[in-house]
Amino acid sequence: MQPTQALLKRYRKLPLTTKDIKKGFYKGTRTGSMGSHTKYGGYIIDYNKVRTYVVPAGLDSFKLSPFVSAKIEPTRGRYEGYALGPKSPELYLDRWKAENGMD
Amino acid sequence: MAASGSLRSSICRIVHPTKIFPTGHTTIGIGLSTASSQKCSFSSTPEYNNRRPRRDNNRLRGLSSIYRSGTRFRMNIDKEDVPAPTKYKPKVKVDPNHGLWDFFYSKDSSLITPDESTEHGRGWTVEELRHKSWEDLHKLWWVCIKEQNRIFTLRKERSRLKLPEGAEEGAARLREVRTTMRSIRHALTERWYAWEDARKLAETDPEIDLNNTQSPFTPKDYLEEELPVENTTPTGDKPAGFMAEEPAPSKPTEAQEPVTKP
Repeated sequence: MQPTQALLKRYRKLPLTTKDIKKGFYKGTRTGSMGSHTKYGGYIIDYNKVRTYVVPAGLDSFKLSPFVSAKIEPTRGRYEGYALGPKSPELYLDRWKAENGMD
Repeated sequence: MAASGSLRSSICRIVHPTKIFPTGHTTIGIGLSTASSQKCSFSSTPEYNNRRPRRDNNRLRGLSSIYRSGTRFRMNIDKEDVPAPTKYKPKVKVDPNHGLWDFFYSKDSSLITPDESTEHGRGWTVEELRHKSWEDLHKLWWVCIKEQNRIFTLRKERSRLKLPEGAEEGAARLREVRTTMRSIRHALTERWYAWEDARKLAETDPEIDLNNTQSPFTPKDYLEEELPVENTTPTGDKPAGFMAEEPAPSKPTEAQEPVTKP
């Protein structure tokens, strides 16, 4: 949804809220677009745009925690021979060939 | 005597007859005035507005059991002896496995001490999470979300009870959790882009045929005789560079050993 053209031009810098200027001024609240408006004033929700939070099963028996022991020093990975290091596609392909390729 | 007294009193009460009868029965008034000087209103019935009952319509005004006002009228018992409302709090059965318990660290108390709050390690690094599967990372993300919920609930509870002591410890704990979450997101984004780039690269790879969905990978070893070694490592072994935690045995000059164990 867009505000009226007049408001886009000169008055953009005004600190307006959602409650100002009865008609013609729309200001969202950072929740995002969830569908589309109909020409009769209604709204059709597009569920492809709607956020869905998927909680995985088996959280109770999961062993990992958000923390790692402070005694374990963080190490850097070794990616000799690969130009981009961990981001290199050659690395991905080599690993795929070694682990998954023959499936 | 009586006649003179009545005359005298009637003289005081001389009222113009037309003012009493605004409807204008002036003929009667004229007759009265001419006959005698005694003036009075036509009827003793009060005006319509004055006929309504003048009372307090609220029969129970001021009576309150919660403020313990006492009875409205005198009774044989004192105000102190009037029974007070009972302190009734219904006992609610709580499910010990309810999901909302995950917002707290323990069921006994809504708070934990700052020392207990400090008992945590460091957050995961991206390197550590690169090795983890999608399922593990997904579950770890939600474990982090739940831990965040606990930390925020603790923060809210401390501010409600006005206890400023544990704020920094809580913030440090939250920082580690958010580090882990950031690392998870980093690892997954990296994996996605690497996959995209690898797919593009696979189109140019002679060993891979992407149209063949059953077995796109046909290693050279099985098809042709051995060719001279190329830049990329032979398909059978793991290349020396990637994911190596110890130096490859074929390179004796390497003196450094990465620290993997405490």
